[in-house]
Amino acid sequence: MVERLGIPTASIIGSGFLKQAEVITKGLGVPLAIGVYPGAPMVDSEAELRRKVVEELAPGLLMGLTGEAPREANVATEPEAGAVILSGTFDEVQEHFHRQLWTDGLPIVPPTRARVDRFLAFTDRQPDEVLRILPQEGREASILSIAVNGVIAGCRPEYMPVLIAIIEAMCDPVYRVEDSGSTPGWEPLVIVSGPIVKELDLNFGQGMMRVGRQANTSIGRFVRMYLRNICGFRIPPGAGDKGSIGQSFLVAMAEDEDSAREIGWPTYAEDRGFAANENVVTVRSVVSITSPMYSGGDRAVTHVQQWADLIGGSFTYWAHTGFKTGLWSPLIVAGPSIAGVIAKEWTKDKVRQYLYDHIKVTAERSTHHAHMTSTPTFSFENLVTDGILPPEYAASTDPQRLLNVIINPDMVEILVAGDPGRNQSRAYMSNHVQGPPTSRRIVLPRRWTQLIGRDT
Amino acid sequence: MTQHTQEPRFDVLWPLSRKAVTRTAAAARLPDLNDKTVCELWDVIFRGETIYPLVREYIQARFPRVKFVSYAEFGNFHGAREHQVTATIPDKLRAHKADAAIVGIGA
Repeated sequence: MVERLGIPTASIIGSGFLKQAEVITKGLGVPLAIGVYPGAPMVDSEAELRRKVVEELAPGLLMGLTGEAPREANVATEPEAGAVILSGTFDEVQEHFHRQLWTDGLPIVPPTRARVDRFLAFTDRQPDEVLRILPQEGREASILSIAVNGVIAGCRPEYMPVLIAIIEAMCDPVYRVEDSGSTPGWEPLVIVSGPIVKELDLNFGQGMMRVGRQANTSIGRFVRMYLRNICGFRIPPGAGDKGSIGQSFLVAMAEDEDSAREIGWPTYAEDRGFAANENVVTVRSVVSITSPMYSGGDRAVTHVQQWADLIGGSFTYWAHTGFKTGLWSPLIVAGPSIAGVIAKEWTKDKVRQYLYDHIKVTAERSTHHAHMTSTPTFSFENLVTDGILPPEYAASTDPQRLLNVIINPDMVEILVAGDPGRNQSRAYMSNHVQGPPTSRRIVLPRRWTQLIGRDT
Repeated sequence: MTQHTQEPRFDVLWPLSRKAVTRTAAAARLPDLNDKTVCELWDVIFRGETIYPLVREYIQARFPRVKFVSYAEFGNFHGAREHQVTATIPDKLRAHKADAAIVGIGA
């Protein structure tokens, strides 16, 4: 951005991030002058850090500002969108896609024109409509690209309206799709709500987050495929995805809305401001998942106390990233039997308030966590002064003061789903401001009932 | 062999989409940084509080009359207010009459 202003710029890049920098540079269309820091600055001694800066990084930066201007790397000519790029047998297609890094390592469904057209029939939008130019390769998020990658991922054509809503949500700048390759290795989670859940046969009961049901699995796979092919987030031998360890794609989630209504709680989509019968997609990041949270008893407090204990145990460490940004969000998938017990006594808001009040961390501990991760300058006082955290986080200077891990009760999301025959829940943690819950209505084509064969 | 020739063939579409990138050449470099202003932009992670002063020291040893504008003047362009802070950077660079910039830290 600065270079575009006509100001010569040199960037500090760790040696492990050079390939990602290369991808980003091509996507921005601006050549980058780089000073390289060898290795990882967070694990070097003061003396080693000084040596690396003086001997390697600073000379590189100086050369970047005073030497020859960086030149743009050669840009390869690419096919036109929608062009046939290969005619081959099933095995030849698989091999080509693997070599080009266009798959996630599993076999793909060959995206033939006929298959893609069947997907396009499930939207009234034009194939060349562009939703946004997406980071980090600067490619168009077109309706056609959604259809092609939906085919590849093994989706059914009737999922197309859901796939479009997912990409619309991910195109929202608030969602920050550009951070999908950050080192924590967070994964997008799609939550589908409304009557379409049953129409598409999404699993919201026992085993809901397992690979195995076509709709949940292929929609989840589509998201990762799209991030790979259109955004350019690829792990080695590709580049662009810097998830240090990462995690596998998450199958799409859906709510047991009948159970939610039966116990008198608003549905997840209603919590997010949508009407009861609207079809909605929400995409949010997941950086961490609790262990299975078993809880027993016929009183609400017993269950929610257990949630507080287990969510606190799992998420307190990473909450410091939420403190730095003023946002993180736990999503609780409440087992239907447990939700039923709680709902007899408590509203969802009362659950949120309880969790807010009872999950605590000392200022010292959280500061330590931030220092360990990336931020030696972390300070609650500065975050309050900057208006990122509310004043109570700096109400005292006592390092042993207890702080709320959940910054605001409204950030707690609750969804009823899972095994009705067991007393288990689970919670999912977002990665601070990267991938906050972002929702879009699912727009069905005018001929939806005809197309899915339910025309009377 | 016969089976192979009967195997269906697939005409497959390109799975990527058009790149819509506006290309810009790099700005002209400054062989002499004396009497020039170098602005620092930092995302407040990865020990920049130690690294930037060392970089400053190194460059100043070679160009004694170079002027640095600290990263503190620009705010954290990563995190809570990334979009808002980033939007203010061009004006701040102009206000400081930036001749060059150092941006970090991607690590």
